[in-house]
Amino acid sequence: MSILYVLVLLVPAAFASGWFAARRAAVHRSGMRVSELSSDYFRGLNYLLNEEQDKAIEVFLKLAEYNRDTVETHLALGNLFRRRGEVDRAIRLHQHLVSRPGLSEAMKTVALLELGEDYMRAGLLDRAEALFSDLVAMNAHAPSALRHLVAIYQHERDWHKAIDHARRLEAMTGDDESPMIAQFYCELAEQARQHGARSEARDYLHQAFECQPDCVRAFMLTGRLHAEAGEHAEAVEAYEAAVGADIAFVPEILPPLLNSYARTGQMERAEHFLRDILARYNGISPVLALTKLYNQRDGERAGIEFLTSQLRQRPSVRGLMALIDATMDKIEGEARENFLILRDLTRKLLEGQAMYRCSRCGFGAKAHHWQCPSCKGWSTIRPIHGVANE
Amino acid sequence: MRLIALLILALFIVAGVVVGALNAGPVSYDLAFFQVTMPKGAGVLLALVIGWLLGGLTAWLGMSLRHRRVLRRTRPSNGKTPARA
Repeated sequence: MSILYVLVLLVPAAFASGWFAARRAAVHRSGMRVSELSSDYFRGLNYLLNEEQDKAIEVFLKLAEYNRDTVETHLALGNLFRRRGEVDRAIRLHQHLVSRPGLSEAMKTVALLELGEDYMRAGLLDRAEALFSDLVAMNAHAPSALRHLVAIYQHERDWHKAIDHARRLEAMTGDDESPMIAQFYCELAEQARQHGARSEARDYLHQAFECQPDCVRAFMLTGRLHAEAGEHAEAVEAYEAAVGADIAFVPEILPPLLNSYARTGQMERAEHFLRDILARYNGISPVLALTKLYNQRDGERAGIEFLTSQLRQRPSVRGLMALIDATMDKIEGEARENFLILRDLTRKLLEGQAMYRCSRCGFGAKAHHWQCPSCKGWSTIRPIHGVANE
Repeated sequence: MRLIALLILALFIVAGVVVGALNAGPVSYDLAFFQVTMPKGAGVLLALVIGWLLGGLTAWLGMSLRHRRVLRRTRPSNGKTPARA
């Protein structure tokens, strides 16, 4: 047999052998146990998406042990622990990541950010503040760190620092944070008002208006400051401007506004203003205010007539209760007893009702808050419009 | 396992030496532009080495191309590695 035949047989065999050897070496060298790792990873992800967090944690823990260099897996695991409320485990995991030698600078800063969030969740605000401040100084994930710092200062009610950091965030991201900053100035004005420092409070309100010219809260505070100083004409102007800025806050604005109208004797202006609101606002508050006004000016009969005509157009439990109260004196005997039961029933019905709801997270509240206790959004809590509410 | 592999390797080396000694005669190849003359054993060995290297090169090229394609598909558009899984 010629040597060429031998070569024709041997060369393909050598080719195949080289091909297998190179492939095996490449897989071994780069640690690409691709299919195994990815199947575990996607299994974990699948559990996560199906809200089966226990199983997801189990898979990710195994994955992290199996491949100790997978930083992303550790980060995802820490995130999961934090979301489940196991903050101590999340802190330990992220601390371990931060102290791991050879970790790239970018990954280390991500781990620091996560650790800061863990501290925040655990209520260790001083530690979280220190970490986020370091990140801002390093200019690493600065927008997220600034957002967390603003949240921390809001929680600590350190409004000056909150304003400073919100402005830095605004400069960095270009997002408009002025409505939030206006609320911070309103908080400062409220503090100053409570301490009797009226001119300081006015300065803060002036700055709030510079941030947000149609800030309802700033108008209301201005009105309150004027009313407390006995300047009821100016208070009326401020309260009317508050209604003009956002009509949704009518139930909050009307009581002090009506008081200022009464103090200045501008009841005609009050009637005109309430009639104007009635056309634009669907709630029961202006109806009740007008009923009270007609009661005092034109007598009880006129008040009741106005209320009954309005209740046909906008049925409301609060309106019904006002009607029962107004007609109670005129009823005697068995009907009066029935009316008393009805009044108790409506009162109990109103007691259990949430009158306000956050337009962002749906949190229900009986009293008005400028900052939602649940989602921490500013000026998002609004009166609920319905038969049993506003 | 490693010992068996070493034994087989030694066996092949001995076989190669024996076959090479028995076929020490020269063989010449006409490669169109030039002619090469070498011992028969060296010809076989050279063919084996070239075939092995070509096989390895093909596998390496195929794998690195596929790896790059996967990376391009999974990496976000700004080129940064996603921070969280």
